[in-house]
Amino acid sequence: MRIDLILNAVATTWEIAPGETLLDALRRYGCLSVKRGCETGDCGACTVLLNGEPVNACVVAAGRVREHRITTMEGLCEDPLMQRLQEAFVVGGAIQCGYCSPGMLLSMYVLLKEGGSVDVTTIREALSGNLCRCTGYVKPVQAVLLAWEEQR
Amino acid sequence: MTTKVEDRPALRPPEKLATVGESVVKIDGQKLARGEPAFTDDYQRPGMLFAKVLRSPHPHAHIRYVDASRALAHPGVVSVLWHQDIKPILHTRAGQSYPEPSPYDTVVLPAKARFVGDRVAFVAAESLHAAEEALQLIEVQYEELPAIFDMAEALQRTDVLIHEIPDPRGISEAGRSNVAARIDLHVGDVDAALAQADVVVERTYQLPRVQASHIEPHVAISWIDEDGRLVVRTSTQVPFHLRRILAHILELPEGKIRVVKPRVGGGFGDKQEMVLEDIVALLTLRTRRPVRLEFTRQEEFIAARFRHPQRITMTTGAMRDGTLVANRMQVLADTGAYGSHSLTVQGNTGQKVLPMYPLANIHFHVDCVYTNHPISGAFRGYGAPQGCFALECQIDEVARAIGMDPLELRRKNHIRLGDTDPLSAKLGEGKKGLVRVIRSSGLEEAILHGCDAIGWNRKPAPSAAHFRRGLGMALAMQGSGIAGIDWGSATIKLNDDGSVNLQVGATAIGQGSDTVLAQIAAEELGIAYEKVIVLSSDTDLTPFDVGAYASSTTYVSGGAVAKAARQLREQLASILAEKWDCVSEEVILADDMARGPMGQAMTIQEVALHALYVAKVQPGATASHLSNESPPPFAAQFADVEVDTETGQVFVRKFVSAVDVGTVVHPLLTEGQIEGAVAQAMGYALWEEVQLDGQGRVLNPTFLDYKIASALDMPEMETILVPSQEPTGPFGAKAAGEVPIDGPAPAIINAIADAVGVRLYRIPATPERVWRALQEASG
Amino acid sequence: MWNLKDYRYANSAAEAVALMRRGPGRGLYIAGGTDLFQAQPADCDFVVDINGAGLGGVARTPDGGLFLGATASLERIARSNFVHDFAGGTIAVVAQRCGNRPVRTVGTIGGNLCHGLPSADMAPILLALDAKAHFTDGKEKQSISLSEFFLGPRQTVLGDRLLLGIEIPPHTRDWHTAAKKLSRTAEDISLVHVAVAMELTGQTIQTARIVLGAVAPTPVRAIPAEEFLSQLDITLPEATTRFEAAAKLAAADAQPVSDHRASAEYRCAMVEIMTRRLLKNLAASWSAPP
Repeated sequence: MRIDLILNAVATTWEIAPGETLLDALRRYGCLSVKRGCETGDCGACTVLLNGEPVNACVVAAGRVREHRITTMEGLCEDPLMQRLQEAFVVGGAIQCGYCSPGMLLSMYVLLKEGGSVDVTTIREALSGNLCRCTGYVKPVQAVLLAWEEQR
Repeated sequence: MTTKVEDRPALRPPEKLATVGESVVKIDGQKLARGEPAFTDDYQRPGMLFAKVLRSPHPHAHIRYVDASRALAHPGVVSVLWHQDIKPILHTRAGQSYPEPSPYDTVVLPAKARFVGDRVAFVAAESLHAAEEALQLIEVQYEELPAIFDMAEALQRTDVLIHEIPDPRGISEAGRSNVAARIDLHVGDVDAALAQADVVVERTYQLPRVQASHIEPHVAISWIDEDGRLVVRTSTQVPFHLRRILAHILELPEGKIRVVKPRVGGGFGDKQEMVLEDIVALLTLRTRRPVRLEFTRQEEFIAARFRHPQRITMTTGAMRDGTLVANRMQVLADTGAYGSHSLTVQGNTGQKVLPMYPLANIHFHVDCVYTNHPISGAFRGYGAPQGCFALECQIDEVARAIGMDPLELRRKNHIRLGDTDPLSAKLGEGKKGLVRVIRSSGLEEAILHGCDAIGWNRKPAPSAAHFRRGLGMALAMQGSGIAGIDWGSATIKLNDDGSVNLQVGATAIGQGSDTVLAQIAAEELGIAYEKVIVLSSDTDLTPFDVGAYASSTTYVSGGAVAKAARQLREQLASILAEKWDCVSEEVILADDMARGPMGQAMTIQEVALHALYVAKVQPGATASHLSNESPPPFAAQFADVEVDTETGQVFVRKFVSAVDVGTVVHPLLTEGQIEGAVAQAMGYALWEEVQLDGQGRVLNPTFLDYKIASALDMPEMETILVPSQEPTGPFGAKAAGEVPIDGPAPAIINAIADAVGVRLYRIPATPERVWRALQEASG
Repeated sequence: MWNLKDYRYANSAAEAVALMRRGPGRGLYIAGGTDLFQAQPADCDFVVDINGAGLGGVARTPDGGLFLGATASLERIARSNFVHDFAGGTIAVVAQRCGNRPVRTVGTIGGNLCHGLPSADMAPILLALDAKAHFTDGKEKQSISLSEFFLGPRQTVLGDRLLLGIEIPPHTRDWHTAAKKLSRTAEDISLVHVAVAMELTGQTIQTARIVLGAVAPTPVRAIPAEEFLSQLDITLPEATTRFEAAAKLAAADAQPVSDHRASAEYRCAMVEIMTRRLLKNLAASWSAPP
């Protein structure tokens, strides 16, 4: 089946199977920043933005996103807020193996963009859907705080 | 290009270091942050096939016949292989130096399934979907056999043998019993010492099966290149061992095989093994096409590797004044269906742990058995987490028995600078051991800093009526590489602009080794870190390295980098000495400059141009480094916990790690190793267990039910880096990757005991387990 | 990959039911779809995507109640001012604790309830507030008390009818409510979930509701415990003893399974503890100065 969507601000048409996941379709269509970690919606390595909100692409139907906006890291690398977050992560030692990083950064991007309160508690809550086995979450949380302070 | 040298890498006083000691920007940080396609699965080859594995539903069964006809008739299916299609060549899948100290008990496709999930057949198809469908169409005739799940039973029974073919190198007792490895070491006379002791404490501890759970699954893709060579691109910790093992089982010379490791999404020991590379390689050779295989997360929890479950009985003798006089550690371990790492992990359980208290009387005994359970293997800590749990809980029990503060008991008895490790001479990977003397130790300082940071004598009050609060601690030591065995090499060459290519076999798996090695090279050459271009872990383009395990990369591979860089420095000094008419010792390289004794100065770029175009030589070197020492890093770790006495829930409020890794090459990366290790060890203590149904089937093969820490589960963490100077390490460095994973579990269990007066002898301390313990204690 | 044969889109509730009944084979409604794409049921031939059917709203009903559209996302419910203002906002608190942010973005109240898991987190608090389920067969709209909605694990009364939304009636608007789930880690499937609600006249309980989740095939109202609390003056010293007794009665209504997550014995014990704590805290917060 064919569906139209806006992928990283570009009008796009996909040819997908009815039972295909958004993760499979995104990787097939070249968005390799979206990672496969568990395929059960538990680890968040496949986090992408659906109309600006974070979702686990591995348990969202590709068909679900017809006529919607999807944003991946590929579409945010020129965004100043994302760049500030990336810088804070890189400089702050918040990236070890990097496999969970795009998903984590997208979740944090949404947190900062939404403009609600940003502190250790809200950061950890917003991060709870992104599993990381390398960092213990310490430096990622610190990096987000730093990026937010710089933004104000 | 030079050959193997035995001398020590350079050492300079820390205050004179320019790059080592700085938290430089991680070399691959940007591309990882941007999500660039840098991992194994981010690369495809035209005509690539997708592989899947048909797995046994039985824990123990002969595979009598595999009928693949319907599968092969299915559209898109290209190949199906089962054991009759493959010559069985015995090997071990463990990624270890040759000759591997693990039993050769494995073939690519077994004629008998030995656990639920064992390989029965391989499928390659044009799409993943077709491969999945093909699995459903394969018909298998099994002949079920009695299965053994209990370790004690496996130790006794010889009527049912999980492995019948004797191990050609005699490490396991295959063919005679279900014993995969045995160790028995005696120092002094433990029984006599126990008889003289004022107090004898004997306890049994149970350690669970846990899984590394790296977020990137196992994944590999192989193909035949234009020169007819087999190329394997894989998420591995051991590219060179892989090449050798593949050569052996595929009957190809190593020169016909290339293993390439791109960015790896975590390994933690689970990728110190040939878990799936033989599958893709074999299918590629048979089909002549590229083949990709990626484990599902469910397969990770069934068919990857697990920390060895163990039952440890500790008997400790002490005098009333707190002097420890004897320690006996008896280990019964479950290596599962195959024996990779069975001897060495269990060896570590004693070797890396018992020397913390270097008593004159130590007895260490191991029985490691096969069972029809999923396969145990390497997982960060490599036997030490189990042993440290038992020992450090035991120390607290002894302290309670003699009425002494557990901190003071540890301070009185722990190993010190200049002490000899009494077990080191007796045990060495099945070879003759090497005596270990402690040449650097910040342990005493770590204890003092750590106990102050946790508030050891100022325990906070519980935060609510039904909570109790407790503090607990543990000490840990590990190693830096495997003495006399782990080695690595590095090649370095200078470019026109003063940059250098650093080619290392050493394996970056997320820990930042490319960065640390670049820092060492930059420090040695007196150039900016940004000038070092690192290429790692390509068996064609980088020289040999054992790989990322045993905490060897900074200490061992770093030693090779330091040597190669020093040789390059000496070459440049020699060239400039000729130009400046002085001796090479008078040429100083620092701050991207070269300076002579009479005020001569050139930028490193000018030096490079001079070398390449005037002297007409390529400055560069290859160097190897083997250490005959494995200096232990030390950790003192402390937990502040609250226990909800009604629900049994345990909340860690604060965790402190004070760690001595010698010279800290990169503070942020070192802290990152510690923080990540603590998170993994908290899982070991509180949440993680691979649960089986009594018939060898995994009940919780997903992240829904195998709970690893999320950001909400982490306590306030404080990390204290305690410097010391290790004379045998590059710029004084030791290892950091594993030592911090050993202490948190016993520290937390000790804290729970402090809080509620009840000791758990089994982890994970789930809410229900704690609740039951409290129920039983209150009668 | 899931072997679905067809993916259909509905622009209205009536169209959704029509697409469902058209067949061939067996179909399922899909909104967020995360449960379905995890489970990938082999006997499902097609799905009907109802995200465009106009059921995503959260609204106040004209008589002062609350209406949660079937495809209202859990995140939307968690943030809605209408939901925060209703009966102490516990519905929002519970929604906020469902999974994590990516789950709540697409996960819907309808999906949470219709999937019918015993651990469905939204069920207990809604049952405690006398909620009703509204649904349609494409022609007629019907409603049923949520207490009759669940038939068993993964089974509701709906069949192929479409859930339109959940109505919480106005008479519960000022009830005092609280809910708590017990799990192994901070973010986890519920081992036990308890919701309590009280209708107070002055300091006297007129109506109590105690609903248990994850400890029986369907959510369970602990009716003997509720009745035991009727007419209780919550400021009296013996109120505490009554709460403890009510908690014991509630635990008797739990029929949990023992599984790899927890034993039945533990779950029952936790029902008692959580019920007692919720009742005490609710009474304490009512009495506490503002």
